[in-house]
Amino acid sequence: MFAIQTHQLARVFAGGQGVHGIDLEVPEGAIFGFLGPNGAGKTTTIRLILGLLQADAGELHLFGQKFTRTHRAMLDRVGALVEEPSLYPHLSARDNLEVTRRLVGVPRQRIDEVLRMVELDADADRRVRTFSTGMRQRLGIALALLGQPRLLILDEPTNGLDPAGIASMRRFIQRMAHELGLTVFLSSHLLTEIEQMASHVGIVHGGRLLFQGTLDELRTKSRPCLEIACNDSAAACVDLRAAGEDPEFVDAGTLHLRHSTRADHEVNRLLVEHGHAVHRLIRVTRSLEALYLELTQASSQSVEQPHE
Amino acid sequence: MNSWYRALHAEILKLKHTMALRLVVLIPVGIALLIIAQYISIAHYMPGHHAHTAAKAWFSLGRSTFVFWCLLMLPLFVTLETALLAGLEHNNRQWKHLEALALPRNAHYFGKWSMAVLMVICAHLILLALIPVAGWVLMFAAPTLGIAGVPALGPLVGPVAGSMLASLLMISLQMWVALHWRSFSVAVSVGIFAMVAGFLIGRSHTWGKFYPWSMPMQVFGKDAHNMTVAIWLGSVAGIVVALIGLYDYLRRDTA
Repeated sequence: MFAIQTHQLARVFAGGQGVHGIDLEVPEGAIFGFLGPNGAGKTTTIRLILGLLQADAGELHLFGQKFTRTHRAMLDRVGALVEEPSLYPHLSARDNLEVTRRLVGVPRQRIDEVLRMVELDADADRRVRTFSTGMRQRLGIALALLGQPRLLILDEPTNGLDPAGIASMRRFIQRMAHELGLTVFLSSHLLTEIEQMASHVGIVHGGRLLFQGTLDELRTKSRPCLEIACNDSAAACVDLRAAGEDPEFVDAGTLHLRHSTRADHEVNRLLVEHGHAVHRLIRVTRSLEALYLELTQASSQSVEQPHE
Repeated sequence: MNSWYRALHAEILKLKHTMALRLVVLIPVGIALLIIAQYISIAHYMPGHHAHTAAKAWFSLGRSTFVFWCLLMLPLFVTLETALLAGLEHNNRQWKHLEALALPRNAHYFGKWSMAVLMVICAHLILLALIPVAGWVLMFAAPTLGIAGVPALGPLVGPVAGSMLASLLMISLQMWVALHWRSFSVAVSVGIFAMVAGFLIGRSHTWGKFYPWSMPMQVFGKDAHNMTVAIWLGSVAGIVVALIGLYDYLRRDTA
């Protein structure tokens, strides 16, 4: 079952920004990294999932049940930290948790449990205005965990943290996911962060979902490909396709062959036999980062093209 | 009902250590001190001014206190309290946390509205309780005013309850403004402008009973018709405006 499933979920703001037909599938038990540059639509998607925004179109299911802003009972299985933590600075950490406890109606001892989980039990009675950014972030997660959720939604949880804080937050999220068996939906603009934590990844850009799948599937996409430089890559593509290959046209003098059925030298021979002048054959390894940039830049170009 | 109670219960805790909570006590105390000062001044400059009986003297003290409260302080009190209550969520961007909980969204709105009503009721009751204190001070500070014996608060109870009901429309309007606009300045500006206009409109025998910010004062006037209109219009329209405010709240996206 999917913890989150959306179908053509859309919300467009004045000016055209927003999300456009997102089909998201977050399996239960996954740590799903929702990756995209700033302004890609990550927070908008999260706000739609939590019912903070009204969708223009599309459907959303949480744990298999249809969710709308009015049918929101399934939110009792969801804990969320959207952008910076929402805290009352004049209250202590314990009182902040007590406010939410009164709203969600869980037993009082749950406050001590979550304070221990986020290692804030020693500072429970200090006013939040004296807390560091990292402590606030941990208290925000404690608030999200208070209702014993099955799905934890964290929007850029490492924002504003120093490197030690980021490492600590990363360990904490992984520990929570494994110890409590939570599904974690985690947004970030940092690939390295997602790479170190997530089992699944979704890449969003310009309000569109460009990829979703396991991290291994993403890595498969970034397998070394055969880059061929020749005199006429368009004609070479036609000949390779006729021979059962699946080439990608890059530019007039370059093509990529990702999943070749032939050895590299056989591809070379095939092209030469068809009269192509092959200048170079090279195996190109793309990092995940390069793949991510390639995906997001390609998306930018496709968005920009209609205006040209 | 249960979700409304939960939201109200949470609102009470949110007020811990806040100026909003302190004002519930401080403003009535301030009014009582001003009334004591005013009565001492009257006794000093108008030595012949006194009520015929102790009961009338107590009623006069109570009525003057509540007219002063309703005319000057209640509109300001409602303005500040509603703005501060809404500010608790606006300032720290709390709405996104509250509305991501499984509680129905209307519970947060009714929690805030009920808290504002509860604060106005508390302030009225504190002021009512301070009248005997003010009277006892005046017995010694200005004995010529004729305040004596046991405080006679019975005749004030009805008008005080009426004033609470008549203030519902003002509370609902100010709550709507405070929740709709994130800016504290907008809520306070609207309240102060409405209060100043209330000085003028409130004096009108014809229009005073229809103006939300002067309705509570009408309850302490001598015209029974105006009193009835202010109480009924204030309470019924107050609930209608609260529901309109709820509609506006529910249809908006969460900041």
